[in-house]
Amino acid sequence: MSSAMWIAVIVSAVGTLLMRLLPMLWMRRRLARLDHDEGIDAMPQWLGILGPLMIAAVLGTSLVPKAPDGISWLATGIGVLATLGVWWRTRTLGWPVAAGVAAFGAVVVLASWVI
Amino acid sequence: MSQQAVSPTPRPWLTGMREAIPLLGGYVPVAISFGLVAIQAGFTAQEAVLISALVYAGASQFLFVGMAAAGSPLWLVVVMTLLINVRHVVYAPNLAPWLTASRGWPWLMHALTDQVFALAHTRLPQLPETQRLGWFTGAALFAWASWIAGTALGALAGEELMARWPLLGEIMPFALPALFLVLVVPRFTSRRWSLALSLTVLSALTLTVTGFTNLAIPLAAACGALCFQAVKCRPAAKGTRHE
Repeated sequence: MSSAMWIAVIVSAVGTLLMRLLPMLWMRRRLARLDHDEGIDAMPQWLGILGPLMIAAVLGTSLVPKAPDGISWLATGIGVLATLGVWWRTRTLGWPVAAGVAAFGAVVVLASWVI
Repeated sequence: MSQQAVSPTPRPWLTGMREAIPLLGGYVPVAISFGLVAIQAGFTAQEAVLISALVYAGASQFLFVGMAAAGSPLWLVVVMTLLINVRHVVYAPNLAPWLTASRGWPWLMHALTDQVFALAHTRLPQLPETQRLGWFTGAALFAWASWIAGTALGALAGEELMARWPLLGEIMPFALPALFLVLVVPRFTSRRWSLALSLTVLSALTLTVTGFTNLAIPLAAACGALCFQAVKCRPAAKGTRHE
């Protein structure tokens, strides 16, 4: 890798780190300036709204299968239902994920045998 | 891996690592793909691993090696890489109310990816203050290490792995949407939030299907925020509250 390419990697890395780090320092100062007891209420309202919505957006993008054919969409739908079903019963993080992957995998494997 | 508030445990970093395990289902196959793509683009295995360790941002890394291999001007490569990662600016402020006074936090922000943010945004508020740094350190460094290890594996043996277990690379990434689903569902607490979250998920899905993958997250979140505000602006019917 050339020196110019190394510089490009380092600038990209430092830039990405600063985008993750500087807003945290800004928010910490803001929280420190305001009353400590206010906690979450000291956050700008738009930030409090955007946080959960960003997670929902990441969910939306990750739902699209790598090979978006009929079988993959069917597997995704069944995987989602399995995840939701187990979450509804257990209210945990790990088991619903395991159940979702197992259901998704079962559909994919079955389809690969049938087709 | 309960989502309820937990009593203090002696090793919060271990809890963090355990709760980050579902992330690996998505991280490792994608990291293997990145290692493979980087080798095919002319980078060495060491260079691919260093890019993963230093930049640590999935989509932008693929763009970086792709544009560099295509001979694009390096300033453009850097600008595009940073543009894709600009969504990260809203993550840390959302976690800030639950961060303690430790000087370790700024360094740990290097590991604040989409997935780690989603997990931490749900779990940090549930943890006692004394356990948050340990938990985040365990979860974030474990995810980072898996990304680096996956890249190395992909760079060194990616072609053989993909040929031998083609279905594994197709099945394991479902761990990510399953995890995000579990993180999002408890937030459907009111009609207002339900509408905004549903619209966000559908917008992101549609944008990704139509090829706007890199714009999908910020645009979908903006759509959801507009919906959230619009529902608030409507005159309250029958005296109902939406929050």
